Amino acid sequence: MEFKDKRVIITGGTKGLGKAIALSFAREGAWVGINYSSDDKSASSTEAELKRLTTKFILLKADVSSGSSVRKMINNVLDQWEYVDILVNNAGVIRDKLLMFLDEKDWDRVLEVNLKGTYLCSRAIIKTMIARRFGRIINITSPSAITGRAGQTNYSASKGGIISFTKSLSKEMARLGITVNAVCPGIISTPMIENLDQETKSDLLNMIPMGKFGKPEDIASMVLFLASEKAGYITGQILTVDGGLT
Amino acid sequence: MKKNKRNNELEEIVNNSEAMCEFLKKMIIETLKLENVTVGEIDSYVPLFRKGLGLDSIDALELVVAIEKIFNVIIEDEEVGKTAFASVDALSNFIQKKYKQG
Repeated sequence: MEFKDKRVIITGGTKGLGKAIALSFAREGAWVGINYSSDDKSASSTEAELKRLTTKFILLKADVSSGSSVRKMINNVLDQWEYVDILVNNAGVIRDKLLMFLDEKDWDRVLEVNLKGTYLCSRAIIKTMIARRFGRIINITSPSAITGRAGQTNYSASKGGIISFTKSLSKEMARLGITVNAVCPGIISTPMIENLDQETKSDLLNMIPMGKFGKPEDIASMVLFLASEKAGYITGQILTVDGGLT
Repeated sequence: MKKNKRNNELEEIVNNSEAMCEFLKKMIIETLKLENVTVGEIDSYVPLFRKGLGLDSIDALELVVAIEKIFNVIIEDEEVGKTAFASVDALSNFIQKKYKQG
């Protein structure tokens, strides 16, 4: 039980990667606050799985791109738990379109959820971490931020922003016992990838030197490592878990 | 709850400028773990930052959090912080004013 009674918030925590991260923390004894924005169905199925692992969890329905919702959500957690040790900024959306067809709405939404959401959640939690001189902030970025990808100018910009944000915030927090890192997952078999057609899937597989998609647990392992005591001297880093993709 | 007793003690300190400066100096030393600095060595009118006491903006973050926790006084932005952290005396005045408003 490496994370016994550690208090963790995971944004976008009821599906895909976020869910795998949440369940991994719960298995290690952590208290988990799972944020989601709208999908009540997957929230209740994740809740059912969590119930088998722990009693210490909270479901947090909030749009991370709204400052007032984020403040309300974090205050709700702090009222119940007093403090938070670990924040995983995982919530993200995609609205893939070639730039020529990419309207403002799809640009804004992706930047607001992915990048602004990371800023808002980090900002809302930072005081409680400073007060205890301990904290772990782990952001989720993407290979798209590093290598670029056609149809993802909005998404890659948001994820690139997260890399720069991670580096700057790590400098602000380093002396205060708070580490800030990012995990860059390659192509992971989540419903988003599973639902692609066979041809696209085999194209993607051909790009990965290891010849297979990653598992959500591969990413969760890295997140848990960065959150652990063992990673106490690592900050401002982008750790890629992608089977050799980048 | 012990919070009430604490509030009474705090009230007394806040109402007395001298006690307040003393308290803040202790708070600064403890919060920032300043070794080799004693309360007596900190001049109430010397700037806290740079060539004064030598603090920087990251130290200020810790002080902002400590002040909010102890006095429930929020320093909401850097501009306010600049005035509030000009010196121990300035900080004392700032907190006294805000504490009474709040």
